[in-house]
Amino acid sequence: MENVGALAILLAFCFSVYAVAASLAGKWRSNPFLLLSAERAVYSNFFLLTAASAILVYSLIAGDFRLAYVAGHSNRAMPTAYKFASWWGGQSGSLLLWAWLLSLYSAIIVFQNRRKFRDMMPWTVAILMSVQLFFNLLIGFIVSPFEVLVQGRGIVDVGDGQGLNPLLQYWTMVIHPPILYLGYVGFTVPFAFAMASLISKQKGEEWIHTTRRWSIVTWFFQGTGILLGAGWAYAVLGWGGYWGWDPVENASLLPWLTSTAFLHSVMMQEKKGMMKIWNMVLVAATFFLCIFGTTLTRTGIVSSVHAFAQSPIGVYFFSFLAIGIAATILLILSRVDYLKTESRMESVVSRESSFLFNNLILVASCFSVLWGTLFPVISEAVTGEKISVDAPFFNKINIPIGLFLLFLTGVGPLIAWRRSSLESLKRAFFWPILGSIVLTIVLGIAGIHHPFALMSFALCLFVTWTIMGEFYKGSRAIQAKSGQNFAVAAIQLTHRNTRRYGGYLVHMGIVLMFIGFTGKAFDKDTTVEAAVGDNFRLGGYEMKVREILDGDNDNYSWRHAKIDVSQNGKLVTTLEPERRGYKASRQPTSEVAIWRRLNEDVYINFAGSSEDNKKAVIQAYVFPLVSWIWIGFWVLLIGTIICLIPSKVRLQYARTQVVGVTSKPYVEVER
Amino acid sequence: MLKSKGRLLLAIALAGICLPQTATRLITPEIRRVGDKLACKCGSCNNTVATCQMLECHYSLPAREKIGNMQKAGASDQAIVNTFVKESGLAALASPPAEGFNLLGWIMPFIAICFGLVAVVMWFKRMSPPKLAGSQVEPVIDRKYQQRIDKELEELE
Repeated sequence: MENVGALAILLAFCFSVYAVAASLAGKWRSNPFLLLSAERAVYSNFFLLTAASAILVYSLIAGDFRLAYVAGHSNRAMPTAYKFASWWGGQSGSLLLWAWLLSLYSAIIVFQNRRKFRDMMPWTVAILMSVQLFFNLLIGFIVSPFEVLVQGRGIVDVGDGQGLNPLLQYWTMVIHPPILYLGYVGFTVPFAFAMASLISKQKGEEWIHTTRRWSIVTWFFQGTGILLGAGWAYAVLGWGGYWGWDPVENASLLPWLTSTAFLHSVMMQEKKGMMKIWNMVLVAATFFLCIFGTTLTRTGIVSSVHAFAQSPIGVYFFSFLAIGIAATILLILSRVDYLKTESRMESVVSRESSFLFNNLILVASCFSVLWGTLFPVISEAVTGEKISVDAPFFNKINIPIGLFLLFLTGVGPLIAWRRSSLESLKRAFFWPILGSIVLTIVLGIAGIHHPFALMSFALCLFVTWTIMGEFYKGSRAIQAKSGQNFAVAAIQLTHRNTRRYGGYLVHMGIVLMFIGFTGKAFDKDTTVEAAVGDNFRLGGYEMKVREILDGDNDNYSWRHAKIDVSQNGKLVTTLEPERRGYKASRQPTSEVAIWRRLNEDVYINFAGSSEDNKKAVIQAYVFPLVSWIWIGFWVLLIGTIICLIPSKVRLQYARTQVVGVTSKPYVEVER
Repeated sequence: MLKSKGRLLLAIALAGICLPQTATRLITPEIRRVGDKLACKCGSCNNTVATCQMLECHYSLPAREKIGNMQKAGASDQAIVNTFVKESGLAALASPPAEGFNLLGWIMPFIAICFGLVAVVMWFKRMSPPKLAGSQVEPVIDRKYQQRIDKELEELE
């Protein structure tokens, strides 16, 4: 079986080489047969990598412990879902997942566009398959997932494996890495389209719509992957943290930030033919940051909690990055004429300006995260001394930037395209600003004095007000015209312009997440040693250890506590945290118990046993508002789906630009 | 029977390994104040000595104890931080000191924002419509036409 798997990867490598060569040769010689065969090579590459992946997954589930990868990342006692998840639990398996997802995306792209963009598609295929070639090279020749364990000249079966890292044996870990990878890998598609459009000097705007659509989908996957990771950290690591500014977490955030900037600035290109070079830079930066993120995870150049798998493949990644970035810069420079802007700015106070500032802040945020991540390496290289750049550094730099971005989220929708008058600005901003000031005063009186928390709450109200105001005004107008009820009018309004109102919902999701992040300023915690029958207090809660149980199964041994949580003398819930010890890896993990509510979560971790083994060591926390982070995600999901639904009113992208001024009034031309 | 006894013994032995004996070490506001300035160097988190929540942490727990003992002996916050730096180098600090080359670490993001702002201003100037030389004529745009442009632009989002 392993030979078939390795052969499939080898053949996939050959087909990716062929697809690149046939696309380029077919384009150069205008040979449609070569171009068609290149596209068929893309399908073949997908089928071969699917076969290789299926063989690896079968080996993991069947427990073929002759394979080094299976012995290192699976064992007999693990549930089937986690055996499946072992596919991406290690170095070569996760690179195979990367390669397989890219082959899937490439096959979809080729199929979707079999009659579209005929001029541009050969270049798109060549770029996609060049990236594919790189990953096929890695899994085919450098870190093969089909290596067998050998002793002397014989293949060895070790009987049972080490199992998946226990921390990864949690349900979100079954979906978090593939979804994050759907984002990471997916950004290759907009990059391929953008570069192909540059090479072929594509006319028209249709390719931008395709690129933007793909960007939204992959942006959503990336965001979902990040949040699933946050949810996993919150529920598994045992101290309620969901973001620790770890280098690998940062690496997943970087392309999300640049792609968010792209999704905003591309509107300038669609509407006014502006910022074309900048958009190319953002698309390319997003793609290369994805490769960089994979590099960080897989090579461990920066010390990280997440660098589960490390190997000397860094040189290949850095070579790929260097060649790719150099080629992209050269291409953009050689196409500056094609990327000339088509319109001019008419006023500083305009929607265009707000997009510019939004881009500036998003890219600055991306840069500061990248800088903080790499600064320990840079500093050590320059000064020769190791330093730490931990959460306090990132918080100090990024909280003000994040709050300013939140402010722009509220300002943008209120400013008109082209120009806004002072009068209209006053009208639009008066009530939201007044509301925010009043909220700040009320919260201050209520005892909240944390400056960033106050600013964050005020800005959340400001943005919510502006978004709701937009929905309210539009829905009222439709209601007045059609006589429908308000809810139906709001749905119709959203359907008329899904991109705009879906975008507002995405903004609303971000606001809800900020509310959740702000709650972090008010966390409470305590650590106690408690025997059965002991009580302890945290915040407004009284907790009593009712029972402590021990047990064992094939995969792990466990100790389980039942803790009654009371409020004002009344039992409100019973929480059951558990401590597990995995047998194969001999690693302990915590299964925390969480009582989730909108105002605050009560979070209990069974952290261990006292020195005399008679008491349980319990860490208890109260996390205010944290549920709003997950609620915000669902709102963001709904907003993104709405953005992808075609609008009821089909829009034409007529460009407007100022060509000059006249002393005579324009004559209106009847349509 | 023997097999099940063996399994029971194995489970107990593993529980011993997996459920380590842990002493509770409380963190006082004074320890937290100093611990917030020091990095937890356990290699498993990116937190400070004060915020690391891992009970078995081999770095933050002894570090907290040490901070507490030094405070009891009358050492100032800065003296405690200096002791850690002397022992482990600058890596003991949660954030690099804002001096020498490491100052660059702090100011670089803001330098980048300033550069960005300058670039935006320059771009604005380049993108502004050219002024018609010698023209004193006030631009007159038909209000109805202007409204239609604005409406269409709004809808094109």
